Formats: sequence, structure tokens, C-alpha cells
Amino acid sequence: MPSILDTLRRWLGRTAPKPPRPPAEVEALRIAFQTRYHHFKLLLAANNKALEIMAEIQAVLAEQAPFGMTFVRSRCTRLSATVFAIVRHLNELAPGAYTALPERFREIEAEINRLVAPPPLSRQGPLVLALADVRPEQADLVGAKMANLADLASRMGLAPPGGFVVTAAGFARFMAHSDLQTEINRRLQAADIRRPDELYTLSADLQQSIIRAEVPEDLQAAITAVLAPLAAEESALRLAVRSSALGEDEAGTSFAGQYRSQLNVSPDNLLQAYKEVVASKYGVAAMRYRLARGIRDEDVAMCVGCMPMVDAVAGGVVYTRNPLKPDADEILIHSAWGLPKSVVDGGVAADLFVARRHPEPALVARQIGDKAIRFVRHPDEGLIRLENDPADRRRPSLDPDRVRDLARLAAAVEADQGGPRDLEWALDHQGRIHLLQCRPLQLHPLEAEAPTASPPPEAPVRLRGGQTASTGAGAGPVFVVRRDADALAFPPGAVLVAALALPRWASLLDRAAAVVTEQGSIAGHLANVAREFGVPALMGVEGAVAVLHGAGIVTVDADGMAVYDGRIESLLAARPRPVHPMAGSPVYEALRRAADHIVPLTLLDPDSPAFRPQRCRTLHDITRFCHEKAVHEMFSFGKHHDFPERSSKQLFTDIPMQWWVLDLDDGLARRTEARYARLEDIVSIPMLALWEGITAFAWEGPPPVDSRGMMAVMFQATTNRALVPTVRSSLANRNYFMISRHYCSLQSRLGFHFCSVEAMVGDRRGENYATFRFKGGAADEGRRVQRVTFVGEILEAHGFSVSIREDALAARIEDEKPEAMQRALRILGYLIIHTRQLDMVMASSDTVARYRRKLEDQIGQLAGAGSPVPA
Amino acid sequence: MDPYRQPLPSESTPLNGCKVLIVDDEADFLDTLIKRLRRRRIDVRAAESAGEALTILESEPMDVVVLDVRMPQMDGIRLLERIKARYPGIEVIMLTGHASLEAAVEGMGLGAFDYLMKPVDIDELIYKLQDAYRKRCLLKKQHSHQRTPGALAD
Repeated sequence: MPSILDTLRRWLGRTAPKPPRPPAEVEALRIAFQTRYHHFKLLLAANNKALEIMAEIQAVLAEQAPFGMTFVRSRCTRLSATVFAIVRHLNELAPGAYTALPERFREIEAEINRLVAPPPLSRQGPLVLALADVRPEQADLVGAKMANLADLASRMGLAPPGGFVVTAAGFARFMAHSDLQTEINRRLQAADIRRPDELYTLSADLQQSIIRAEVPEDLQAAITAVLAPLAAEESALRLAVRSSALGEDEAGTSFAGQYRSQLNVSPDNLLQAYKEVVASKYGVAAMRYRLARGIRDEDVAMCVGCMPMVDAVAGGVVYTRNPLKPDADEILIHSAWGLPKSVVDGGVAADLFVARRHPEPALVARQIGDKAIRFVRHPDEGLIRLENDPADRRRPSLDPDRVRDLARLAAAVEADQGGPRDLEWALDHQGRIHLLQCRPLQLHPLEAEAPTASPPPEAPVRLRGGQTASTGAGAGPVFVVRRDADALAFPPGAVLVAALALPRWASLLDRAAAVVTEQGSIAGHLANVAREFGVPALMGVEGAVAVLHGAGIVTVDADGMAVYDGRIESLLAARPRPVHPMAGSPVYEALRRAADHIVPLTLLDPDSPAFRPQRCRTLHDITRFCHEKAVHEMFSFGKHHDFPERSSKQLFTDIPMQWWVLDLDDGLARRTEARYARLEDIVSIPMLALWEGITAFAWEGPPPVDSRGMMAVMFQATTNRALVPTVRSSLANRNYFMISRHYCSLQSRLGFHFCSVEAMVGDRRGENYATFRFKGGAADEGRRVQRVTFVGEILEAHGFSVSIREDALAARIEDEKPEAMQRALRILGYLIIHTRQLDMVMASSDTVARYRRKLEDQIGQLAGAGSPVPA
Repeated sequence: MDPYRQPLPSESTPLNGCKVLIVDDEADFLDTLIKRLRRRRIDVRAAESAGEALTILESEPMDVVVLDVRMPQMDGIRLLERIKARYPGIEVIMLTGHASLEAAVEGMGLGAFDYLMKPVDIDELIYKLQDAYRKRCLLKKQHSHQRTPGALAD
């Protein structure tokens, strides 16, 4: 491997004159040049692509927008392939010179892969398990919901749940059969599910392909075997088929109700119902939910519970605590006629019974709803929706004794489980209570320390009433949602207004500023998810749709149970928005940890002995290393090979500085053996733009220096040998352009300042970029730092992204049209000349301001100028 | 055709004379892609399996092959390996709906020109075809000069 010194020696070009080459050799050399330049160009494009992907990764980690594992994997994969290509191109430019590089790359890549690779598809364990045989520790086989239920029923002295679970192993078997999961992953990658229209289409497609897929024979046989004894026991057996997914509580979330349940299913249709429940993993709401919460798709295994149906007189949901006031002794019992479905779906104004635990469980208060409808079992299959008799609508669905029984059960379950729970229950015709579901209840207390934000007295109230389903206040334009199609058009930041609190509107909650519904309650799924996402929600507000329709921007004060016209800042100010909503989730953490091996740049100084392949710690380090070395390799090849057409030529110009030009490929209009290049021969688009900036205004010479500035220079000169004129350094006095038609690299040492510009300008807009590095100066470090800050501010004002480290500045602009790139390069050319020795005057803020005005004025003239792209 | 006698493809006539084969078992994707490339006057053929691709390569010389990574029977990585062993000059671009770092690194290690993710921007794909084709032309040119050893030794 050539050392830095060797490279430098080659840079300095101390080669002896050689005899002329035979024509065949010249031709071979010409081809070699072209080939090398092609690799160089591909390396630059790949370098650009790699930086772009890294920036994208950084952006999603910082922004509030959600992303999924498919994003993480596709970006990491694309990036690895790109960096691999960079390493390979460098090896083409310098065969065998950096042999440690591929190895370092593979080590880093393996680290990243370990963090983002998907788990294997297969899974150990029985495909089907009877609920009676389920042990509590089998939650990762049957899902927490079913494991809990089986365990709880036996310990609460309730009738043991019959039925069985198709396990996570059964799910894995089904999804592996006929490559179903593979096909789904492929389609997930191809779509952008952050776009609502694509999400809806994809969701429908994926669910269709699951429902159409064949259930493998061994799984069918296992289900039949466990179903037969149940059917023998009860001739009219009907089943409730419910999801019990794994991974729902990955991020401390309880994902209420986004999966499908099939109720009252006949044994003949069980397989179909099973597939429909499995398919609901890819329901719109579920997919959006996983995306927003950073849950990995592959972590969600759909276990499915199949239990004999209960004939319910009444049913509903019990919260063992009031989630908004968890310290109070309150048990909330929501109840309606028929099956619990009407309560769970938020489609009916249910009864609310408040009970206490102490001194003994008892009814404390009740609020009887107008229960218009109920769901009951159809004799054959499925549910029917019935209108309740007018006499029943306002009649309490539970008597005080049943309320007491439920309160006692709730208190016992909470004590047993060690925390608040959300219970779904049904009351049968014999007066027995059946526990259908039991989930952890998320608490969202009204914060005591939060300022009791009250609206100004003159605030225009549009609407009052309802109940707080999720705390807080939010403002935005009203958007009324009636149909699924409305959800597609739901604008981010709008206030969601709907008649029914349907679970499917949950898919909009990551975009909604607040929620107002006419029906529904704190116990519904929508309320649950609203609390989880921290979206303020007011439910059970009579007449909300009619009053709010067309209201424009409103402020929803869920705590104060009111809606105001316009934005009421005093209400909104009280609640700061959280950090990244996905922070801590598996998807977020996978990318964050992978990014540690990707994004940080630790190889900073190309002149340092640590600038070696072995020291590359991240993919960014590798790209930086390869880029630096590739530029050197191109340069040294051009300098080293005595090849008249291509070796460097001095630019014929009246500017009193030495400019040298090395043509890489097609930067000169014609091949010439002359030692000089003329400006009119140059067809490099970026070089011409840069040159325009360099020559646009005459340099007025060094600025007048105060005595302290001069002292600073003299002190530097005694310590820095590069500044001493007697030290011979040909490189120090020359400015080198390396060019092709679309590429230009300038290495320049003007006085004490070292700078480099590199640019690609062509029709491939995505590959266009310009970078500028600037370092050094004659003054003391404080002034040098001030100067790079000064230059950095100017560049930022003109669209560059700038980073400054000590007295070194790096600026970059990319992905612009050729005209904009040319403008940026004119500005760079101008600054290279006109900020020389500005470090001398940096002490005085007056002079800084004066120079700044002058520079801005001339840049303004430059930006409008410019010649057309040469033909 | 001797590529050395041909002018190198420049940016304005980048894919003149370039023969492209696209291999993908996903018929809809394949059809759409072929149509879009032909609309841009690119000489392109389709194969729905690795086997069909190998048969076509037997009788018809190709410059660039675009492969899906996951295909039934023989997957794209194995096909890449076969192509590179038999026709080392052909450039192969992997285009896949299955993001996998392992497959990407394996494919690149076997000499794939690049590894792209679906959905791919059509312009990006065409740029890749241009870059791969130019590389192939340069290599061919270089090989016809291998009889002048030492030309580059310095």
C-alpha cells in the first residue's frame, strides 16, 4: 500500500521526462484513462447516493413522521450495495492498494444486518391448543389475550372457557405455506403506506391474498381434531373467532380492536373465519397503527381464539379504574342490551354505571343512555342488529345486584393481575357473567400539575357537552368523516368529527388534532387509541356533526368539554407535543442502532495517520475514505503518466495566478498536445461556472490589517513551516482543476488558505452536487474560526448546507437543476477569491458588517448573471 | 460487432446498440417495465424465469441483464452466478422487491453491477443501464488492447 508520502510525492509530479510512446500505447493509455474516469464517475455518483440515503435516515429519525421496517431494510440494503460499489470502484482505481477495506465493510455491514434482519419464518410448538390446556406462560404461543383469559377464568371461579387457539406456530405454518408471507413482504416494500391511497389499495390486496390462500393440510387436520369433540357436545355449536395477536404490547401499547373478530361462526365456516381474522393483521387501521407505533410487521403473529358463543342478554366493557382519574375509587361499567359489540364499536350511547370497591362493592351512580339498537346471534350464523323496543331504550341494562357482581369481579381481577384492566363481558340468560376479554388498561390521568388552562371569557363557544374520552386540547380545521372514502381525504392536522365513534377512524388518529363524536364513550376502541396517541377527544356530544360541519378552524377543549371557534392559544399552549412518537419502539430502535454504524463520521482529517481503512467505523467513514482516495488516485494517475493529451496543462489566462487543468475525459473541446489550455477550449460546465465567479470582480487586494491582525500572522508564520516562503512546495502555489464535461474538482491554495471544490453538473439531476471545503488562514485560530463562520453564513443563505468544525468548513448543495448548480458554483468561485485574508479583519464587527454587505451585493449581481450551458 | 470500432456511448446516445434482458417472474411488473423501456427505444427482451433467461442467452448475446432476486426454481443470485461464470462480460443489475442485506452483499460480491430496490424510478434504472453498458464497452475496448503488455506499467 502506498503511504501518504508516496502519494504526495506522486502528486508533486517529480517524474523524469520519457521518450515518446508508440501509438498503440497511447491508445491503450487513452482507454485506461476513459475506464478509470468511468469508475471515478460511478464512484462519485454512488458516493452521492450513499450520502443521500444517510441524510434520509437521519431525517426520519429526527422528524415526527412514522416509518416501518420495510423502510429500514430497504434503505440499509440499498446503502450497503452502494457502499460496496464504492469500495469496488476504488479498487479499480488503485488495485490492491486498500485491501483492508472490503473486510472492514463486511464487518460493519454484518453489524447492521444483525440489527435489521427479519427473524426466521418458522416457529416451534403445537399448531392448535385447547384453551383448557393453555398455561399462563404460553403467552408467546397463544397471544397474551388468550393465555390470560384461560388462566383468569379458572382463578376467578368462572365457567372455564371452552374452545381452542390456533397458535403462533399455526399462523407461521399458514403464512409460510405457498410463500404467502414472502409475497406480502414484497408488496409491502413496493408501496408507500404513508400515502393513504396506496395504503388502502395495499391493505385490500393483502387481505384478499390471505383470504384466498389455502390453509395447509396439517393445520386443517389439527383444527378438525380439536373441533370435533366441541361439536359433539353441542349440536348447534357456534364460535366466536377472535384475534389474540403477539407483539401488540411491544411498545407498551394495547392495540384495542383494530383486528377483526368473527362472531357466531358455524363450524363449517371456521377456516374462512380464521383466514379473515388473520387477514385483519393487514387492515388499514392495524397497518397505520403499527407504522405509527413502530411495531415490526414480523413481530405480530396472529393467534386466533375460537370459543363457543355466549347468548347475551346484556354485555359491555368494565374499566377497573377511571383511566382519567386512576386514584379515585371508581369502577366504570359500560353496558348495553345484547352482545357487547355495540359498546365496543362506539355505535350506541351505552349505560354507564359507576361502582365503588370500598367498603364493599356497590353501585354509586348511573347514567342511562338511549340504547337504540342491540346485536344478537342469528339462529344460523352471524349477528343481527335489532331496534330496541321504545320501552327498553331508556331502561337500565343492569340491575344494582348485577352491577355489584361485576364490580366485585373487576376488583378481584385487578387485584389478581396487579394493575387496572379493561374487561369485555356478557350476561347470559341464566344470569351468569362471562369474561370475554381482559386487557391491561392504559391510564391517562388529567395532569394535576398542568396549568388549569381556562379560555379567555370572550372566547366564542360553538358547542358544549359530551364526556372527556382523551384529555387535552387541540385545534385545526373541522373535517367530517362519514364514509371510508372520507378517510382518504383526511388532511393532517384536522379535527376529526363523526357521528359514530367507529374503531376504523382510529387509522386517522396519528394525523388528527382532536376528535369529536356524537356517539361513543371513554370505553370504546376509538377513545382507547386516542388516549394512546395523545389526541384530545370529546365523545357523546349531541348534534356535533351538524353544528361543526363547515365551522372552519376550531379548538377542541376535551378537558373543559367545549369546542370554540378559531384557535384559542391559551388552551393549546398548556400541552407541549411529545418527542418522536416512535421513540423506544422496535422499529425506531432498530434504525437508531443501525444508524450508529452508518451515519457518524469519525475519519475527519485526510492528513492524519488515522486516515486508514482499519480506522473506518461506519459506512460514512468508508465513503469518505474512498472518495478522498479516489480523487488522489485520479490526480496522481494524470500527473504520473506522461501522456501529452491528458497531462496537466497550464491555463492561459490574465489572472496573475497559476491555474492548471487536467482533463479526465471530455472536459476539453479537442485533443491537444500543447502545454497550455485556453479557456475557449474548456467545455466543463461546472468549471466554467466556477471560473465566472472567480473572475467576475477584480480582487481589491488584501484588506487593511490592524496591528493585532499582523501580529497574529507573524506568530503563525513562525510556527507553521508551510507559510514560510523559502520552503519549496510546488503544490502550495498552484491551483489544480480536474475536469470532464460534467465534472470539476478544484484544489486550490491561495496564500495561506486551502480550499477544494468538487462538482457534478449534468442532466441527471439526482446526481448533481457541489461540495466546498475550506480551511486554514494566516491569522490566529480565533479569527480563522470567525472567518469560516462568516463564509458559512453566506453559503447557508444561498442554499448550501454547511458544517463547521474548528477552522474547517464543509458546504454542500445537491439535487438541483443545472442552472441552479451553475449559480451555486459562481458564488463559490467568487468567495474563493474574495474571502482571502478576511481572517485578518475579523476582529472588528464594523468591518465584518461592511465586508458582508459588499460581498452580498456582488453575489447578488452574480446570481442573476451567467452564460448558457455550452453546446 | 467489434465494440472497439464503435464510438463509445455518450450521454446523448447512451444505449445505442445495447441489448437488455429483464428477468422477473412477476408478469405484470415485467410487462409494464418492458413497455416503458421500449417507449424509450431501448432494445429489451423479457424472460419470466431463470431457465428462460439462460436459453435466451445461449442464442442471443446480451449486454446488460436485469434480474429479480427472488424467483421460483432458480433464484436470482444463482442465476447471477451462472451468467457471470459463463458470460463474464455481461453486466448484471439486481432489482428486487425483497430488501435483504445478505442477498445484496452476496450479489455484489458475485459481481453484480448494482442492487436496486423496487419500486425503482425508471430514470434511475435507465441511468444504471447506461453506466453498466458504458462499463462493458470500455472493458471490451481494453481487452482488445491486451496484446500491448506493459502499456500501463509505469
